[in-house]
Amino acid sequence: MKPLLLHGHERAITQIKYNREGDLLFSSSKDNKPNVWYSLNGERLGTFNGHQGAVWCIDVDWTTTRFLSGAGDNTLKVWDCETGKEIGNISTNSSVRTCLFSYSGNMAVYTTDKALKHNCEIFIIDVRNVDESISHADPILRIPIKGSRVSSILWDNLDETIITGHENGDLIKWDLKSGKEISSTREHEHLINDMQWNKDGTMFVTASKDHTAKLFDAADLMLLKTYKTERPVNSAAISPIFEHVVVGGGQDAMDVTTTSARVGKFDSRFFHMVFEEEFGRVKGHFGPINSVAFHPDGKSYSSGGEDGYVRVHNFDSSYFEYNFDY
Amino acid sequence: MPVAEEVKSSWADEVELEGGSLPPPTEVYENGFKIVTEYAYNEDDKKMKIVRTYKIEKRVVSKSIAFRKTWKKFGECANDKPGPNPATTIVAEDVYMQYITSKEEDNKQEDDALEKLKALGDKNVVKCRTCSGDHWTSKCPWKDTMLAGGKVPDDKKGPAVPSGSDAGKAGGSKYIPPSLRDGAVRKSDNLNMARRDDATAIRITNLSESTTETDLEDLVKPFGPIQKLYLAKDKQAGYCKGFAYIHFKFKNDAAKAISMLNGHGYDHLILTVDWSKPHPN
Repeated sequence: MKPLLLHGHERAITQIKYNREGDLLFSSSKDNKPNVWYSLNGERLGTFNGHQGAVWCIDVDWTTTRFLSGAGDNTLKVWDCETGKEIGNISTNSSVRTCLFSYSGNMAVYTTDKALKHNCEIFIIDVRNVDESISHADPILRIPIKGSRVSSILWDNLDETIITGHENGDLIKWDLKSGKEISSTREHEHLINDMQWNKDGTMFVTASKDHTAKLFDAADLMLLKTYKTERPVNSAAISPIFEHVVVGGGQDAMDVTTTSARVGKFDSRFFHMVFEEEFGRVKGHFGPINSVAFHPDGKSYSSGGEDGYVRVHNFDSSYFEYNFDY
Repeated sequence: MPVAEEVKSSWADEVELEGGSLPPPTEVYENGFKIVTEYAYNEDDKKMKIVRTYKIEKRVVSKSIAFRKTWKKFGECANDKPGPNPATTIVAEDVYMQYITSKEEDNKQEDDALEKLKALGDKNVVKCRTCSGDHWTSKCPWKDTMLAGGKVPDDKKGPAVPSGSDAGKAGGSKYIPPSLRDGAVRKSDNLNMARRDDATAIRITNLSESTTETDLEDLVKPFGPIQKLYLAKDKQAGYCKGFAYIHFKFKNDAAKAISMLNGHGYDHLILTVDWSKPHPN
């Protein structure tokens, strides 16, 4: 396959996301302009200019009308997808680490870092009518986190609960009516970088710094499968059409020069979801992969790396013909 | 995608422009391809012509996707033309998914390449450049006695030097392709090589655009067995470029074909057929 190399960022990619139909691919990086691309031909549709710091998290709503981005400049911004204009801006006390539209698109959640004597907090906000007033509006719910900070987040159960992944490896499920913790589990030993749903929202895969990606049942946070690698895992995604999990990672950016000189640890690795066995690798990045995403049709996937490139891969026919032997 | 107006310039304009600035970039749309030509200076201050060819595909998509395709570009790329901007979108080199069948094989790959070499037997691995002995050049016993470019007298040469005809037998220091090694079916190979000689090849020109390989095969088969048939085709459109090469098995057949087909009318054109190389006679 000939990947498309999207070079719209000057610094490391932090997150990439497809919209629901998969025709657009959003990317954010440590430079301050999130980008949006047509996934088919790699044409850049636009950049969202306005942030002052590294953009850590992005999300796009169900109808691809609004786009959410949270950044290290202590702001969360809501954008109009079509024009790239900023329609809402919320100032926070510390940098925004995760943000996500709810399934209905009526609410959004964002979390802030623990910094400058401010605790990590989860905010649920109403995003039905976004205008300037959103910066003064009170959040629907505000959950202060006493322990380790939230590093990744997912909406669950038709917007009734959320699941958070924490810096120390905790997974916690929160009830949004009461704002209380329902259940929690500790299967990871280190920071959970990323969490992504499977297609029907019954399971999700976590990517952790402890060199593993794990598959959990969403209903009771039960650990189902573990995908082991020998490097920190930054992102993992589940194929919408096959029982495949793609895992992206590599050593920490700060350790790249001091550890193994061998190239080839920066590849996307494909695991069989059930048998936990790696069956394929795709090379290409010159640095650790920070984010991977499957196209909603399962026929292509993208990865964004520390090298600042997003690579869009359309699978060869060999991938579709591949049968896992067992 | 909106179609830009076709830009046409005569060569005379281009020559005139050469004095000063670079010619303007052009975009041409023809049979499903968009061809963008740009000019730039390279590091040596020489003019460069950059030609990019895009294939234009039409796809049927849902309404919402089609609508999004009409969105205007914004932000940094508000001024970009329709279509991917080569500055931000690059087609990367081919990569392939490496399939790993089992854990054991995965571990094998990690093995040191040197181990493999060692396993082959140390005889063939190390060879002295000075005396062809079975050791590194720097460890050669004749190292100090030899001047650059000098030759070791035959009687002093290392013991591992197989000479002349038995080189192949000993599997000695020189690489011998498998087909030429002892035990290989040498006779048939040599025959093959002779047959592949251009002496039996003929060139057919002035073929029509619609000619296909099967047409050509039908045309030349009656003259005798064919070894190889090559029809020059356009890389993208796939139509015939007007010439073909045919390697016959026997020279007589080739000669017969030339005499019969040269001047033969085929598909509204008159064929020209000759030896592919100028005939020695």
